[in-house]
Amino acid sequence: MIQIARYLTIDLLKNKAIIGSLLLFAAIGWGLFFIESQPEKALLMLMQVTLLLLPLITLIFSCVYYYNSYEFTVLLLSHPIKRSAVIQAFFIALSISFSIAYTLGIGLPLIIHNPSVESFILLTSGNLLLWIFVGLALYVSTKVNDKVRGIGLVLILWAFFAFIFDGLLMLLMYQFGAYPIEKLILVLTFLNPIDISRISVIMQTDAGAMMGLSGAIFIEFFGSLKGMLISFSSLLVWVILMYLGSVLNFRKSDL
Amino acid sequence: MISIKNISKNFGKHEVLKSISLELEKGECVALIGPNGSGKTTLIKIILGLLYATEGTVTVNGEIVGKDVAYRSIIGYMPQMSRLPENMTVAQVFALLKRLRSDVETIDESVYKMFDIDGMKSKALGKLSGGMRQKVSAALAFMFSPEILILDEPTAALDPVSNENLKDKIKQEVADGKMVMITSHNLSDLDGIVSRVVYLMEGEVYFDKTIEELQASTGEERLNRMIVESLKPQTA
Repeated sequence: MIQIARYLTIDLLKNKAIIGSLLLFAAIGWGLFFIESQPEKALLMLMQVTLLLLPLITLIFSCVYYYNSYEFTVLLLSHPIKRSAVIQAFFIALSISFSIAYTLGIGLPLIIHNPSVESFILLTSGNLLLWIFVGLALYVSTKVNDKVRGIGLVLILWAFFAFIFDGLLMLLMYQFGAYPIEKLILVLTFLNPIDISRISVIMQTDAGAMMGLSGAIFIEFFGSLKGMLISFSSLLVWVILMYLGSVLNFRKSDL
Repeated sequence: MISIKNISKNFGKHEVLKSISLELEKGECVALIGPNGSGKTTLIKIILGLLYATEGTVTVNGEIVGKDVAYRSIIGYMPQMSRLPENMTVAQVFALLKRLRSDVETIDESVYKMFDIDGMKSKALGKLSGGMRQKVSAALAFMFSPEILILDEPTAALDPVSNENLKDKIKQEVADGKMVMITSHNLSDLDGIVSRVVYLMEGEVYFDKTIEELQASTGEERLNRMIVESLKPQTA
């Protein structure tokens, strides 16, 4: 598995889409700190890029890369190599490549211009997010054999996690505003890794103070060390679930 | 060597293979032919464990396909290489597979040398022409001296000289007692190589005959004529 992952990573690091992502992240990362005098505002903008653009890029590219490597997968599996080793290699190679692009592109300017706890949280949750979305892309690609349908499905999932889920939460809060549902909302946010990352970062900044009554419960939870550990642990659980999901799927699916 | 018993495969409601049974022996060169959608690729993928049969079992040298991957150590597969990691070089593909198959003692580099793979080893897979990819695929299939060779359209994109060289290599492998299964739409390429023809039609074995049987029943010498004559409706 390590050998396959190694050669796939070498291939990916030469891929135009990965290099393009690195350049795009770097342009946004350095550019925002260049035009924005307040580092905290730049951090919040970088957070939006991390939460919206990073999942979209990782989902689409991982999906396309898996489908475009079909004969290579078949070639490997015609040898006495376990299916799980092949899909694990794809997961590791894609995650490492995107982690390098994200950490160099956004992480480097973040650490240089705003070395703080919130920058560290953004960088860590960004990396965990991209592993989650690589896993989700592989889960879908191993489930759906048709490339167009697969890419369509990951776009729908991206829209769900990026917008629709929050819309449903807001609808819930609006409809049941008269009831004490803040704790329920807190629990529900753990169903969306983008929300976990967003709240973890915002609660470390002054923007958290503007979130009203529900924000007070969120600050109490995510602002504490215990809350931070729980949110990072839940992101890790998401990574493990997506990883195991794609491995189990690949082991039993028709290729 | 390969025993296929009552294999059926459904994709949803569509039945692609309908209870196929075949016994493929050592020293045989079997042509698996049939029109598009007849189930040739599906059958090959089931033998390789890439598809799971809806019903039936396949055994390779007594080992049931799907239980373990070890049986694939005696199979060399030559796929049609179209979708590959585009920046990976030819040298890297060979290096990777040699590392993964480091247990294999006898490396057969005859096809590698025959197609001068060394001359293209620094090229990225995405930059290779169809013929070059075919040569890489062939060299990889023969490299680990497999006892069973499964060749999917082996001569499709090859130039005439390479085509003849590969046919000679296949003949030599069969003479050495190996089992070869070939799918091809170009029947003239199979002339003089195959010893048995399995014709699939709509997921069923339409006929399964040796070359001698086909010659006797059709009175033809060339394989494509034998097939055409065999497919003609029988008149009373």
